[in-house]
Amino acid sequence: MKTRSGPDTSDQLALLQGTLDVLILRILVFGPQHGQGIARAIQDSSDDVLLVDHGALYPALQRLEAQNWITAKWGTSANNRRARFYTLTRAGREELVQQSSRWRRLSDAMARVLGPETANG
Amino acid sequence: MAIFSRRTDDDFADEVQAHLELEVDRLMADGMSAEEARAAARRAFGNVTRAKERFHETSPWMWLEQLGQDLRYGWRGMRHSPAFVATTVLTLAVGLALVTVAFTIFNAYVLRPFAIRDPGSLHQIGWRSRDSGGRHFRWRDYEDLQRRTDLFSAVIGERTRVASSSDRSIMIAVVSLNYFEALGPAMALGRGLGSADAGGDGNPAVLSDQAWSRLFDRDPSALGRAIDLNGRAFTIVGVVGPSFTGLGDMPRDVFVPVSPAWDPPHGGAGDRLRETEITARLQRGVTATQAERALTALMSEATGVCAGLRAEVRPQSSPNVLSAEMLVVLSPVFAAFVLVLITACANVSNVMLARAIARSREMAVRLSIGASRGRVVRQLVTEGLLIALVAGCAGLALAAWGLRLATTAFFSTLPASVAPLVRLAPMTYDYRVFLFALAVSAAATVLFALLPAVQASRISLTGALRGQDASRRGSRLRSALVAGQVAVAIVLVILAVTLANNGAALGASDLGFDTNGVLSVNVRGEQDELARPLAEALAADPRISLVAVTSGNPLFNQGVLVAAAPAPGATITRTPCTFVSPEFFPLLRMPIVRGRAFRADEARSGASVAIVSAATARALWPGDDPIGKTISLERPSGPNVEPLTGYSTLTVVGTVGDIVSGIMVTGRDSGHIYVPASPASPHANAILLRGRTDRDLPTPAVQDVVKRTFPDPEVFEVLPLGEMRALQVYPLLAAAWVGTLLGAVALVLSVSGLYGVLTYTLSQRTKEIGIRMALGATSGAVTGLILRQSARFAGIGAAIGLVVTFGALRTLSAAITLQAITLVDVAAFAAGIGVVLAATLVAAWQPARRATRIDPCLTLRTDT
Repeated sequence: MKTRSGPDTSDQLALLQGTLDVLILRILVFGPQHGQGIARAIQDSSDDVLLVDHGALYPALQRLEAQNWITAKWGTSANNRRARFYTLTRAGREELVQQSSRWRRLSDAMARVLGPETANG
Repeated sequence: MAIFSRRTDDDFADEVQAHLELEVDRLMADGMSAEEARAAARRAFGNVTRAKERFHETSPWMWLEQLGQDLRYGWRGMRHSPAFVATTVLTLAVGLALVTVAFTIFNAYVLRPFAIRDPGSLHQIGWRSRDSGGRHFRWRDYEDLQRRTDLFSAVIGERTRVASSSDRSIMIAVVSLNYFEALGPAMALGRGLGSADAGGDGNPAVLSDQAWSRLFDRDPSALGRAIDLNGRAFTIVGVVGPSFTGLGDMPRDVFVPVSPAWDPPHGGAGDRLRETEITARLQRGVTATQAERALTALMSEATGVCAGLRAEVRPQSSPNVLSAEMLVVLSPVFAAFVLVLITACANVSNVMLARAIARSREMAVRLSIGASRGRVVRQLVTEGLLIALVAGCAGLALAAWGLRLATTAFFSTLPASVAPLVRLAPMTYDYRVFLFALAVSAAATVLFALLPAVQASRISLTGALRGQDASRRGSRLRSALVAGQVAVAIVLVILAVTLANNGAALGASDLGFDTNGVLSVNVRGEQDELARPLAEALAADPRISLVAVTSGNPLFNQGVLVAAAPAPGATITRTPCTFVSPEFFPLLRMPIVRGRAFRADEARSGASVAIVSAATARALWPGDDPIGKTISLERPSGPNVEPLTGYSTLTVVGTVGDIVSGIMVTGRDSGHIYVPASPASPHANAILLRGRTDRDLPTPAVQDVVKRTFPDPEVFEVLPLGEMRALQVYPLLAAAWVGTLLGAVALVLSVSGLYGVLTYTLSQRTKEIGIRMALGATSGAVTGLILRQSARFAGIGAAIGLVVTFGALRTLSAAITLQAITLVDVAAFAAGIGVVLAATLVAAWQPARRATRIDPCLTLRTDT
């Protein structure tokens, strides 16, 4: 039931709770983007390791919009399709800075606790 | 902005559509066919409909939409099962009405602040010393306090008294001229009293709303009309609004300004009588403690007491200010009412539970097509809320009706000569009562609806859809509820029987004297000396056979205690002591057991002789003949012990039996010393009269004499002694009636609860009973089966109830020692058990009969 997008190979990871928001904010640093573009960008920039459920993206976008971290506006895509483009706000940029430093600290700590890769996994 | 203009569902649908198209473009660019790309894009997106639903549900108004759905659905469900709705609403309404009545009375007397400007700054002035205290002052003390503008921004003096108005007794408040200006109550008509009324010209009077209704039938033309007060004409200058009835819990009828006619401010009695209550508003920045400290000197001058004297300045924003002690005293009463409500909730909970189990298939369908469990619980609780709301409204109406009924019952059961003077605080249905009803309804919903709802949402989907019902847990819960109901019923029934038994016993108790045909005359207020000329005038009236004077009539007060010893310096016995004229004993038909009665010359001269009661004789000279012995009056010590001024020893001339001279619940006196007095003596403060026959009280004679001799007839309180006795028993009887009502309601509820559970389990066990009967069980065995089940519920409940009641009553009887009250009453316990067991038998009877009529062939065949 959970594997809705593409073949679920063992090298692909489902997103952890709360990670999607920071990923979206990070993608939008490069400029306004629509939902499908964001989904693709996350997948591409993680070398297809992170698995994005396209449907689950939208509640996250709504959440960020409600927090005023992003704004949205209908526009036209590169291949001339109408799409809703999301833009990072100043508040969103600050949030991203905070969130990324938190995630970095977390992943460093995790790495330290888990130790070198030679351990039995 | 997102908050103000929310995106429409269509806009979101457009975005999803755009997303899918962009993804298809991208996939086709990667080389997929259009068909494959569309499928892959959908796969990557997941459930499109679910996404749209999720978007829809994040709407800030979603809860309202769902509430609307739930209410519509609940309403439809209720329309389809009127019997269910009627039962549950009625049951809850009775429970809610009972607690609402209790709360409304509590609100009227305790919570509701006086309907005046800034009630929070109002303080009552009083004093307290080591063994006594008081709140009544002389008029000049009021005037002294009024000058303390450093402490108070306003000081109000008020003296309440009874006056007669065209032969009707009414309660009047003689108030300081600043009363209305300082308090600022809303006026319904005209004006309040004011400084313009100084000098007492024109005799202005202000009516209360109750008096306006009673005396003038709410006629607006009453303004400017005259009202007769003690034979003088007063002009009505205003009517107070219904919300203000005076600064006390007994509503006043008429407010009049202080004037020499009521209360001579200076000289004579006015300087002596302590009848004025003083209320003040504290000056800004002054605390009550500061005021208390500043008033100590003034208090010692005002009261003449010195030992440990201190002033009291206590907030008085409502008739009775809520305190922890008051809550402790009242909490058992509230508990009884709340128990009945809980029983009602348990009943409804049981019905809801049965309904929820019957609806388990519906719940399963709702769950399987995607409703969350939380959503199902919410749906069921909303239905419960709907029922509670309807029941709450019905309960309020029922409470209003019940309160009117209770008021009527109260006045019609009060002793006849007391009823005309009793006023009840207005029972207003203000926002507090409504909030309370709302809160209690909501709490009740949680009690009765949440449990079944959670139960219902826990069903096993596959089982319920296949038609099995998961009622095992439900049935255990239902049994617990029924056992709880039986427990509550037994507690309340035992309490009711205990109260009723005590009331009956007290009503029938032997006081040691005969109240039949005896009239008591007391002076209202402090001018006791008025009793003396009245006694002399009454003695001359031929319609009266016997007149006695006393320093305090029996049943009215215990009298003062004296420190009596059998010899100077010996151990003292604190004994009640009363001055009586020689007629006292024949009038009350108290035989002189030994020795002789008082002689007329002893009464006139105030001789140092005494008649003692049997208990005193035993206490002072155990085993000895008391006649001729001398009582030594020692220096008083201990609370309420006073010196007998002018007497140092008393020679015993006779003995009489022991009587109940004070409060009936405390039983007979521990002893009594009677000292002779005549109507001329300064100890003659009250009068007892006996007519020519036991039937005819000499009331008309008293009224004639009083009217002829005194300008202010209402200064005397004339009451048949028998009614004073009834008045003392009344609170216990009233408590017994309330207890009986609560017990009866709880009993009916638990019987119907038990009946419901038995009927329900019977329907569950039809197949089993069918098999039993097919295998040869007799109808007796089947009846036994049902009765045993019923007995199990009742037995567990009764056991819990008995333990709780026994524990509570034991604790209570250890805390209060009242001779005439038996709290742990075996008869009451037996009656409680008997009544509840009989009730459970009644509840089990019908289901048991129905069980025996089960046809094994039919049940076994139809049930597949």
